[in-house]
Amino acid sequence: MSTGATQGPHSLAFRVMRLCKPSFHVDPPLRIDPFDLLAGEDFSDDPTSASLLRRHLSSAEGVDSDLSYRNRFLINHPTDPIGLSGLLLLPQSFGAIYLGETFCSYISVNNSSTSEVRDVTIKAEIQTERQRILLLDTSKSPVESIRTGGRYDFIVEHDVKELGAHTLVCSALYNDADGERKYLPQFFKFVVANPLSVRTKVRVVKETTFLEACIENHTKANLFMDQVDFEPAKQWTALRLHDPSSQHPPSSDLGGIIPNPPVIIRSGGGIHNYLYKLVPSADVSGQTKFQGSSILGKFQITWRTNLGEPGRLQTQQILGAPVSRKEINMRVVEVPTTIHLNRPFSASLNLTNQTDRQLGPFEVSLSQDESQMEKPVAINGLQKLMLPRLEAFGSSDFQLNLIASKLGVQKIGGITALDTREKKTYELVPEMEIFVESD
Amino acid sequence: MDPTSPESETRPEINPSSAATNPAAVQPIKATPEATAFESTPSSFADPPPERSNSLDELTHDLSSLHDLSTRGQWEAILDKISQSRALFLLTKPHEHLTYLTYQVIALTKLRRSDEASHELNSLHDFDGEHYRYESFPEIYPDRKGSMVPFSLRWMYALVPTRLGNRQEGLDRLYTLLDFVRERIKEKEGNDDSVELWKKREIFVMSCLLGFHLGHKEFGVSLELIKELIKRDPLDPVLVSKLGSVQMQFGDIEGAKATFDRVEKMSNHNGLVSETQFKNLVGRNKALVHVVAKDYAAAVREYEECIERDNSDVVAVNNKALCLMYSRDLSDAIKSMKSVLREITLMLSRLTTRRFV
Repeated sequence: MSTGATQGPHSLAFRVMRLCKPSFHVDPPLRIDPFDLLAGEDFSDDPTSASLLRRHLSSAEGVDSDLSYRNRFLINHPTDPIGLSGLLLLPQSFGAIYLGETFCSYISVNNSSTSEVRDVTIKAEIQTERQRILLLDTSKSPVESIRTGGRYDFIVEHDVKELGAHTLVCSALYNDADGERKYLPQFFKFVVANPLSVRTKVRVVKETTFLEACIENHTKANLFMDQVDFEPAKQWTALRLHDPSSQHPPSSDLGGIIPNPPVIIRSGGGIHNYLYKLVPSADVSGQTKFQGSSILGKFQITWRTNLGEPGRLQTQQILGAPVSRKEINMRVVEVPTTIHLNRPFSASLNLTNQTDRQLGPFEVSLSQDESQMEKPVAINGLQKLMLPRLEAFGSSDFQLNLIASKLGVQKIGGITALDTREKKTYELVPEMEIFVESD
Repeated sequence: MDPTSPESETRPEINPSSAATNPAAVQPIKATPEATAFESTPSSFADPPPERSNSLDELTHDLSSLHDLSTRGQWEAILDKISQSRALFLLTKPHEHLTYLTYQVIALTKLRRSDEASHELNSLHDFDGEHYRYESFPEIYPDRKGSMVPFSLRWMYALVPTRLGNRQEGLDRLYTLLDFVRERIKEKEGNDDSVELWKKREIFVMSCLLGFHLGHKEFGVSLELIKELIKRDPLDPVLVSKLGSVQMQFGDIEGAKATFDRVEKMSNHNGLVSETQFKNLVGRNKALVHVVAKDYAAAVREYEECIERDNSDVVAVNNKALCLMYSRDLSDAIKSMKSVLREITLMLSRLTTRRFV
């Protein structure tokens, strides 16, 4: 109220009402179908009794005036017991405010004194820890006067983008009845909380990265997930994976009236999971790049509560597991169609430099691991093959003479390429399977 | 409650003064001047002509009077009448006790005396027992079979706990009632009229359950229930509009719009609502879409058209005032509500004066 000895009581006062969207009034009534009350439930089993009851009932119906109580006791329409008439209700309390929502308020400044006030400049601001945001300022065109008992109303809106304490500061500068210029500040505090938390898990299976996101609802309301979009970083393409059994096709005989089950996350701790498949997007030159960055992308989330009241949030960038891209990729490209036990065969291999710098020269040989077990496929003849340096992103095709010492399905593996300059060893990718027949 | 011994019917007097009224005035079959002895409210009512009052009275003692009182909301009068009838042993048949008990429970609940209603319900035997079947009394009900329990009594048995704050018990009983109704539908296959009646009861119980779940914002269950209701009557514009409202309530705006579009395209052939009511339904749906889009002026225009078509459309009146408030027009909101209240008061006073004649 008064802020100093010089200012007496104020003529004006602010009143604030939060104006989030209204909701439907649900009030299941106590209404009866007369057939359920006037006779036993099985009375109408006998058709004579049924028609008797119907006749008695229709003769008992008087001529009704529009507002007779009859319309509030007997059922008019089969859906009356739901209690959803369509009546809208104003927000009944201030409620909680969350990050990403829009704070909307009806503000009324009224003159409770016995005389007129003049030249009223009204200001409304939101004050947070970091900033002061002006919502309304009538100083350029002040309200000429507010008569005794009169009001000046306005509505303000503010998109909430910060957490924590907020203060709605309403102030009025006016001339009171005595011509004295008075200043009235009023403060309305509220706290903004975090509505959601998004927990992510990243798994890499072969060349594919899977991103699982779990959204948890911390608010007091059930949230309808209007949009949950993952925006991948430019080196990725994302595909949302759905569980096909959860997608119900709209019932064809009802013409699709029945909607698909919506995603509504229960209040106070409910969760919903989303799964995305990420594949590296091909770059301009058509080569897959070796990327040091492991940023996968971010989520844009829009939720709605009653009557579509929206809230919007964006997550921070989500980081994936560091991509272990090989600098050198060595693979078997081709093998003969028939391979016999203990008979040498020629295999075509390819060595690719996936970096942006020159690497090599390389020495290709059988890997020298601790296992003394004989490998199913070994290099026949000269045990080492020298390959020259490779340019950035260059590749080289070469032949290796191999021999298989075990029957059946075998994998060609255990062959390494040693970068003689950098002293790094690269393993052959053991993808290629061969079928070894007997002689 | 033991139907074979009327003596047990003497209940603690709800309104002791009424027992002192002249018992000779109570004659079961005539037109009802004696009913005025039970009136605890000053406003009297026009006596129904004798031929009419006899019709329902054939089913149960003085039933036409009970029905009349209930449709006028005169619950105290009903309670008086019930205690009077019991005190004077006017109820001679078992089903009459059940009907009167049902009226009593309803009246008590309407008067917000649900604890007394609960007490009355506790006096009942198992609904499905022998005591409440017509065939147990062949001398009174020759050739009649089945349960004499009014369905409303089963429903009140489920409703009363919710009025006493025991929502879970109430819900359990309602779901049990739903199962019971579905069993009856299967059982009565072949008897079309009976099946029809029980199907209406199924819709009734499902609608009650929907109201309860919706009130608690349990939208998943609510959608399942309304789906079931729509499957049974996909062409009911009022029902489908309620689906739209439910979708709007939890925030699926696009879904709600699509649903309201469907309603608009429906013809009103099933005749459950008049042409005016259908137009107003469509108008109110459109207005809701405007409210969501914050176009309050457009919403107000739609509601005004509804009010012009039907000035007793209280939903349109209320929602128009709300929209005026959201457009910062609080004074007009108050003005429009006041003017409608004035009109309603005028109508009500005209109504009461007519009745005194």
